[in-house]
Amino acid sequence: MRHRTLALLLGLLMVLAACGDDDTTSTTQPGTETTGGASTTVPGDTTTAPPTAEGGTVRIGWGGSPSSLNPGLGELTEDYTVYELIYNTPITLDMDGNYVSELATDWSVSEDGLTWTMNLVDGATFHDGTPLTSEDVKYTLELYRDCSDWCVYMSSYFDGDEVIEAPDPTTVTITKEAPTGSFEGRMVFMYILPKHIWEGVDPGTFDNTEMIGSGSFTLVEHRQGEYVRLASNGDYWGGAPVVDEVIFQTFENADARVQALINGDVDMITEFPSTAISTLQSDPNITVATGEPLAPDLTDIIFNITEPENCPAEDGICSGHPALRDLQVRLALAHAVDKQQLIDTLLLGLGTPGIAIVPTGLGVWFNNTIEDYPFDLDEANRILDEAGYADTDGNGIRECPASMDCGDRTELSLRMNFPDDSDTGPRLAQTLADWWEQVGVEVQIQVLDPDTLTSVCCPSLDFDVILWGWGSDPDPGFLLSALTCDEIPTGLSESGYCNPAYDELFYAQQTETDLQARIDMVHEMQQILWEDLPYIIPYCALSSEAFRNDRYIGWITDTTKLALEDPSSLNVIRPAG
Amino acid sequence: MTRGSLFLRKALWAVVTIFVVVTFNFFLFRVLPGDPAKAGIKDPRLSPEMVAALQERYGLDKPVLFNTGEGGLFDSQYFRYLGALSQGDLGTSYAYRNRPVSSLLGTALVNTLWLVVPADILSIILGVLLGLVAAWRRGTKLDVGALMFALFTWALPTFFLGILLLFFGSRYLGLPTGGRITIGLDQGLWATAGDVLRHLVLPTLTFALVLLGEYMLIMRSSVVEVFSEDYILTAKAKGLNTFQIIRRHGFRNAMLPLVTLIALNLGFTVSGAIQVETVFSWPGLGKLTVDAVAQRDYPLLQGAFLMLAISVVVANLAAELIYLRLDPRVTEA
Repeated sequence: MRHRTLALLLGLLMVLAACGDDDTTSTTQPGTETTGGASTTVPGDTTTAPPTAEGGTVRIGWGGSPSSLNPGLGELTEDYTVYELIYNTPITLDMDGNYVSELATDWSVSEDGLTWTMNLVDGATFHDGTPLTSEDVKYTLELYRDCSDWCVYMSSYFDGDEVIEAPDPTTVTITKEAPTGSFEGRMVFMYILPKHIWEGVDPGTFDNTEMIGSGSFTLVEHRQGEYVRLASNGDYWGGAPVVDEVIFQTFENADARVQALINGDVDMITEFPSTAISTLQSDPNITVATGEPLAPDLTDIIFNITEPENCPAEDGICSGHPALRDLQVRLALAHAVDKQQLIDTLLLGLGTPGIAIVPTGLGVWFNNTIEDYPFDLDEANRILDEAGYADTDGNGIRECPASMDCGDRTELSLRMNFPDDSDTGPRLAQTLADWWEQVGVEVQIQVLDPDTLTSVCCPSLDFDVILWGWGSDPDPGFLLSALTCDEIPTGLSESGYCNPAYDELFYAQQTETDLQARIDMVHEMQQILWEDLPYIIPYCALSSEAFRNDRYIGWITDTTKLALEDPSSLNVIRPAG
Repeated sequence: MTRGSLFLRKALWAVVTIFVVVTFNFFLFRVLPGDPAKAGIKDPRLSPEMVAALQERYGLDKPVLFNTGEGGLFDSQYFRYLGALSQGDLGTSYAYRNRPVSSLLGTALVNTLWLVVPADILSIILGVLLGLVAAWRRGTKLDVGALMFALFTWALPTFFLGILLLFFGSRYLGLPTGGRITIGLDQGLWATAGDVLRHLVLPTLTFALVLLGEYMLIMRSSVVEVFSEDYILTAKAKGLNTFQIIRRHGFRNAMLPLVTLIALNLGFTVSGAIQVETVFSWPGLGKLTVDAVAQRDYPLLQGAFLMLAISVVVANLAAELIYLRLDPRVTEA
């Protein structure tokens, strides 16, 4: 659970590839069939040009495959890439991380902060020709608000108290009982569905194999585990893409993906090993671009610091090493992590050092004023010596001081777990173990499959140290909630961390509608987390993609973010030459 | 004992074996740590209501073996599964929402057979021939060369051989880097068939090379052993030529261990060629099963393992029947 999935935005480059399935769907594409056919007829030649116009077909190699075409059920990055291309949302995130209009031309909040009003664009239509109106928006938002018993993510963007109205065809109002500071962030994934289709089906079991949306691309065919074929929506209200067709092909093996690009079987790839970058860069026909992922991600070193009184009554095992609850131990371990070296060796430089649970890619929300703990093994040893952790039996491992009740775990010997689907996990674990052993802390590494890791993690809290990660929403609210006391029994809290001062700030920022005031609170929360060290955040990885510059040009690469799930590049690229 | 009743007895045993495997697998998967209601949707934001709703939909809210509460003793996960199974219903996948397991398995099986059957045939024919030649020319450079080749391909990790072939085949022979077809080709049946064949070349070759070594080694040692038997000497003394000796006396006796191996390998065919499928992005059974384990997709796992169990048992049954033909002495067993 957690980590690798937050597929939402989920930048986590997991390959939860789905496999052979007969889920082929074919829909005829009015847009493509009517274009191109009416070409000039040369005298004496009665054939017409094939209906493939000059825009051509873009082929993209990726590692996964959509798990569901129903936006309520999707959980993978690949799902959301397809949704972004097929559907529109009221508000979207641009590639510099700003909220900009999509279906909503503008939006505003009432004086009391309780009612949000959105004005919709004129002339948006669904792929079947039906106009998109405020009724569709109202229907969709209410569907997502009430879907907690069947949908995966959507209901988490609502508090349940929202009253949604459609006073006229281009206006939608949302009224809440308490103000929210994250309205825009909640609207970014609200894929507007056609009411006339969805109200006639059971949304929780609807396969949505035709995917009628209002976006710039239409679905042609989807074969689970193999490919997704999309065609340009010639009637798109926002202006049709140049290319005729986009094909996403699944290559489970990253080396095969790289080879496919080099050979020209595909025009663009995402998710390749950083070790392949130099090979790709040496090919003059290939351009490699790197940037922040649309959904910033972070890797974390989680300490189990659950106090006995906070142990979940029902599911808690709470077997964390007692010494980890001592801040001095965590401080020493923080001094024994060289973040820059991890970035250089594990990510070949494609990452930035993290501070607290807010990823560096979240822009204004990231507190960049904190001066991180320097890598200093001598200082780490000094801190542990001073705190009374001495190696009394001379085996190279320190023991708990006599004043501390460590039960039968007197030695500073920690279990360290990481998920088996992590490429960097093994080297990260081994590197940390080497450093920590130099300060007298032994590490026992055990790799677990993500599901087992979840069962030892939370809410059972049956571990010492876990190496894992998060993908983030554009709004930091959700990740920050993982460190509140209330989330210990729910299993969202991975560390068992509980600090009333932090909680107070968390609940205050939730309802703060003044942006700068909320940013200040979020920064202060990061300061607290950095001092209390429930986590060490070694790095936030950058994302990279590579494309053939001899096939298509115009890929957007000069923005801070780089993401295929943002359709803007696919809307503007055009054939080279 | 007559051959007919022998067959009946063996068939009965096969059915019992399959039933035991079905039961064993059912409980085996449920012993794994992890909760399918959560594993399908790995999101911490999952509400308790949704977990409960999912568990109810999957029937996971019922007791595993016997229901001592309301609903009757047999209203449990196990007996519900047996009941559905007896009607040929394999259930609905958790991870691939709302999709019947039978259709998931069916599609993947067809893809896997396309890949594995040609590879099996190729490797058996080549392996047997190579083994025969090597045994006949025992000790020569030809034998040593064939032996080295077989040991090398057998020992080489499958994914590594696959990557090597993918690299050279796609770069220098222009073969596709993966997948089953060129998407969007839309050029009629023959063009499509040719396209599929082109996609099949590298994965089939990889899998065939991996299997070949084992067949060759078994065949070689088996023939070498047979050739040292007195009756071969007698055959030589009778003045039979090499071909006649191999055909009439050597091959048939040497085939026994090979039949065992072929039956075993064919039985496991439906488990797919996991590594080959992964390297070449081939949407087959192996990958489907691996993903099902990761997702704790009980119905899909049960279906895949049931299919595997049936095919292994049937293949073994077939092997025993072939024994009967090849070697009359087997009747006593």
